[in-house]
Amino acid sequence: MENSTQESHLRSDNSVTYESPYTVYAMAVSSTPSPTNLNHQSIALGSFLEDYNNRVDIIAFDPDTLSVKTHPTLSFYHPYPPTKLMFQPNRKSSSSSSDLLASSGEYLRLWEVRESSIEPLSVLNNSKTSEFCAPLTSFDWNDVEPKRIGTSSIDTTCTIWDIEKGVVETQLIAHDKEVYDIAWGEARVFASVSADGSVRIFDLRDKEHSTIIYESPQPDTPLLRLAWNKQDLKYMATIQMDSNKVVILDIRSPTMPVAELERHQASVNAITWAPQSSKHICSAGDDTQAFIWELPTVAGPNGIDPLCVYSAGSEINQLQWSAAQPDWIAIAFSNKMQLLKV
Amino acid sequence: MGGVAWTEEEDQLLKKCIERYGEGKWHRVPLLAGLNRCRKSCRLRWLNYLRPNIKRGSFAEDEVQLIIKLHKLLGNKWSLIAGRLPGRTANDVKNFWNCHLSKKLCARETEEECNQSAMNVETITPHPARSISMTGSTKQRTQDYHVAPNSLPAIKESSMSMPFNFFGVDQQGHDQLVKEERDIRVQEPAGGLFIGDLTTEDHRFGQFDEVNVLSRADEGCSKWDWDDLMLDMDLWTDSL
Repeated sequence: MENSTQESHLRSDNSVTYESPYTVYAMAVSSTPSPTNLNHQSIALGSFLEDYNNRVDIIAFDPDTLSVKTHPTLSFYHPYPPTKLMFQPNRKSSSSSSDLLASSGEYLRLWEVRESSIEPLSVLNNSKTSEFCAPLTSFDWNDVEPKRIGTSSIDTTCTIWDIEKGVVETQLIAHDKEVYDIAWGEARVFASVSADGSVRIFDLRDKEHSTIIYESPQPDTPLLRLAWNKQDLKYMATIQMDSNKVVILDIRSPTMPVAELERHQASVNAITWAPQSSKHICSAGDDTQAFIWELPTVAGPNGIDPLCVYSAGSEINQLQWSAAQPDWIAIAFSNKMQLLKV
Repeated sequence: MGGVAWTEEEDQLLKKCIERYGEGKWHRVPLLAGLNRCRKSCRLRWLNYLRPNIKRGSFAEDEVQLIIKLHKLLGNKWSLIAGRLPGRTANDVKNFWNCHLSKKLCARETEEECNQSAMNVETITPHPARSISMTGSTKQRTQDYHVAPNSLPAIKESSMSMPFNFFGVDQQGHDQLVKEERDIRVQEPAGGLFIGDLTTEDHRFGQFDEVNVLSRADEGCSKWDWDDLMLDMDLWTDSL
């Protein structure tokens, strides 16, 4: 990674594009290489159609040949657009020939991704009435305790599932308004952001209490996304609705952000910490740009400038930076998925 | 209900009247129709029986499902429920519910409750509290996290003085503490934060042990397990 503070544009021969038949939103990169071909990386793409019928396609990315292959049977129908897709974290590649994919929509669903087919494994439904369910805005798969998935919903709750047993471990009324994102910190600690504008940390060992570590300066301005730095658990990043700033928080110094990265020219849509560096974070937004930032120990007087920038063809809606492919950042805009070499 | 049943002639008179003068102005209808009925009676008769678009047959399966769904959502608001069932009067819906569905659903609900308690899913509401700045002070607490004094992040005067404020907790009560921390709102007695294993070797904080023993006795609260979290978090980052 370059250390210059000047913005640099990533060369176009260091990017791979896949064009999907429909608008893409949810995206996930597998944590381990594809079971069929160890050189390939599986990427799941969820469609975003305003319809009950949506699709998820799994494609294989080969970083050596810079190609993307699709497989007609590695595709399945999904009710409503998946709000998030995630492969199981830290899967041991020798354990089984199939991978697990989780998707959130109106329920949390688990899918088994095999060599040439995808089988639905389970639908995790906790709604007490058979008629209504509260849609899930997001979820996070605990990488320390892989049987644990936490989901966030518009009914203000976060539900923690034991997916091995297929039961709810606990359900917490996390916020006063809709919860928009959830992120695990360690095995029993997670944080969530909500339309009520707060970032709250929860500990499953003490379910009676939560800690507010940040609130939007304008009251009741929703916070849309949360990213917890897995390399340095002190830091989190969040974005406010319709805001062009990425807010970096230190959980030891609550209410006051450590930094506000303000170089986007339109709303930021996605943030992700670098998988192997505690100081780097990537953000992308409606200004069609993706920035990689390096957080300095001391910020200059004019704020922090990004390390590199990439301009996509249209508003970038999704960002994934996987530990399995730390040299590649995946972005999604309109109906395209692009992998950018860092 | 008492009262005399409407005769055919009366129905005819009422029907003709509404057809001629339209609905509304019910207070004039008895006079205009030449009926010896009160205005309320005329209106109800029209709405529930004589209106042309009323559906007469038994309720269809989808209508029944809708009624159940809406009743769960709205309760006994028959006019609202009937509003979603074109051609059905609120009266009919109410009668249908009370005669047919009420018993059935009562039984089903108790069954569902039994099932749910077997599932044992508890929904807990954690009480949020705004945490106090932990910069520096927390790290010094734990003996496992070896921090050389000069490697601590820059700590402002106010937060450094925090530990010493806690000495005041015992003598003056926790209200004192809350007042002192003017820009940090604390919902729990902040002394609780530093309750926990204070097995630090740093002699500066040796006095803490005394304080905490007393605090614990006074307040008896260890509800606030934030320090446990921080303890583990520090260990976690340490192991990286």
